[in-house]
Amino acid sequence: MLTAELLFLLGWLASLIDSSSLTYQFLGFLIYAIIVAILVSLFVYVVSWFERKFIAKVQGRHGPTFVGKYGILQNLADLVKLMAKSHFIPKSADKILFTVALPAILGLSIFMIMLIPLFPSTGIGEFANNLLLIFALFAFMPLFVFLIGVASGNKFGEISAQRSVIMILSYEIPIFLVIAGVGLLAHSFTITNIVNGQSKWYYIVLMPIGFVVMFIAMLAELERPPFDLREADSELISGWLTDVSAPYYSLALFLDYARLFLGTALISILFLGGWSGPWLSGIVWLLIKMMVLVIFIMIIRATTMRMRIDRLLNLGWFVLMPLAILNLIVTYIIYEMI
Amino acid sequence: MVTRINIGPVHPSTHGVLRLVVDLDGDTIVNVEPHIGLTHRGVEKLMENRMYMQNLPYMEKEDYVASTAYGDAYISAVESAMGIEVKERAQYVRVVLLELQRIASHLLWLGTMLNDLGQFFTLFMWTFKDRDIILRLLEEQAGGRMFYVNMRPGGLIKELPPGFEEETLQVMNYMEKRVAFYENYLEKNEVFIERTKGVGVMSAQQAIEYGVTGPVLRGSGVDYDVRSNKPYYVYKELGFRPQVLSGGDCFARYKVRMLEMKESIRLVRTALKKMPEGDAIGMPIKLILPAAKNRIVSVSRETPRGELFIYMVADPQKPYRISLRTPSFINLSALNALAKGSRLADLFAILGSLDLVIPDVDR
Repeated sequence: MLTAELLFLLGWLASLIDSSSLTYQFLGFLIYAIIVAILVSLFVYVVSWFERKFIAKVQGRHGPTFVGKYGILQNLADLVKLMAKSHFIPKSADKILFTVALPAILGLSIFMIMLIPLFPSTGIGEFANNLLLIFALFAFMPLFVFLIGVASGNKFGEISAQRSVIMILSYEIPIFLVIAGVGLLAHSFTITNIVNGQSKWYYIVLMPIGFVVMFIAMLAELERPPFDLREADSELISGWLTDVSAPYYSLALFLDYARLFLGTALISILFLGGWSGPWLSGIVWLLIKMMVLVIFIMIIRATTMRMRIDRLLNLGWFVLMPLAILNLIVTYIIYEMI
Repeated sequence: MVTRINIGPVHPSTHGVLRLVVDLDGDTIVNVEPHIGLTHRGVEKLMENRMYMQNLPYMEKEDYVASTAYGDAYISAVESAMGIEVKERAQYVRVVLLELQRIASHLLWLGTMLNDLGQFFTLFMWTFKDRDIILRLLEEQAGGRMFYVNMRPGGLIKELPPGFEEETLQVMNYMEKRVAFYENYLEKNEVFIERTKGVGVMSAQQAIEYGVTGPVLRGSGVDYDVRSNKPYYVYKELGFRPQVLSGGDCFARYKVRMLEMKESIRLVRTALKKMPEGDAIGMPIKLILPAAKNRIVSVSRETPRGELFIYMVADPQKPYRISLRTPSFINLSALNALAKGSRLADLFAILGSLDLVIPDVDR
């Protein structure tokens, strides 16, 4: 239900980006980046408020109620509080890494969201094989966590950094095997082709095992319970975030939900048909599907316990990877039949 | 390469102020050294300078999770010194209150242990809601939810209120369903089983050598429960059976506590049914010990955490010396043996399964 003005604005933006002059292209991308950043910020704000209320209701309490109606302004209050605190870096920490790493990974996440064609009718952000680029960049986050954890100079950060790297070993390979299956069905790794290829059947129907594997592996990638080993807060205080000062901590919280946006957007694109849907415009359908996945993820958070790191490796290599390979074989058979 | 980390006194995971200095080799624990004493108030010395009535609140604050058990143990010591016996109805009432307190304590243990394992407060909130119902029952009798001060030599300070029996039976029905719910939720949960089975194994021989008591001991296959080995009150008449499981790991200790909760429910129901008519009021203890028969007394009780042993030298006005052998202190001493060779994440599962209350360790 984008109004005509918004469509016009986006059309103008698309023409900017497609134009031949370099400055116009740059300007167009800059404006698009700002629009995406605003959209992601809204998502982060609403979803983190929703999560607090949801988990509170599951636990039998209310969640934020005082600040604003239903506590909707609670996140704003928390943000103001965090930003107002002083920023200092402990002596044993690496100054440059501490200052630069979190904003860098945040910028990278917003860049990855820009690579998804969020407004499909305008054609912004489409280029060949963008799915592969997004997943390759997705894996940068554990690297940054490792850097910050090691740079923080305290032992909890180091342990957290170790765990972060070990976790990559368990979930990255199943994810790529499942993407290979999707690419097989859609004949390409470009997001637009994948969504268009689901016009007959959503891929969740054709590859249900792949969906399950992808969902679980995505939970591990997004550091959501039961795989939130990096900041296991009953064990490691805050792991890599222990010595990060308050303004940067707010960036880390934002990053948590920005990656949730990215992860659920990718799952909805790969399996649930992305932005396809009747009557409402594309971005709204995408957000609806994302919210369904987000609610599922929140239910899992409220009710599960944290896994141990070696059990996660077990899960990744002895459960997820065989299932992903099985999925690939079954998909090929189905592909031959269709 | 061995790194030493400090799981400091202020920590979301330890149940109180306990400092653990852990030597890690990668992810494997090489040595755990608990540093205790951060809540040491010198209770034993404080009690030497106060009269017997004034000491009862001190005893209750030792272990705030199971105050009834400690208050009852102290009053039993005073009764031994005075040489008086507890009235029969009062014995039944005390057993009811003690077993209700045991259920409440185990519910708290369940919530906090799952919190340590990473279950973000959800089960913690639910078990505390159930515990609250029991605390409300205890409040009706005593007036307080956590610290009761309702035991007196020979009985209690006042009778059970009217309607207590029906309410308690209703609550016991509810508790049965809740315990079944928690067991069902946890024992089908693969993450929980992975994190507790085979973790922190203690053989029966080791358990006896370290001197641990309570569910930690019974989870290792040793059949020792103060309520059946040195029976007191009416546990024999109520047909108490100790719950013993062999296995020695965190899962066995968890299961023993769940079985104990069920046994407590059964004991409460039986005690309420068999309770004789009569008088349960005890005498006020602000009198100095008039017929002080015994100067040196000792009392052994089974608290939810283990065996509490009080050794008291009773002077007419104040106790000359009270020595407390608290269960959490001895259970904590076994931590190193349990945790050596496991991973860091297992340390918290083990700590949770030991059910420590740090003021109980430090006194």
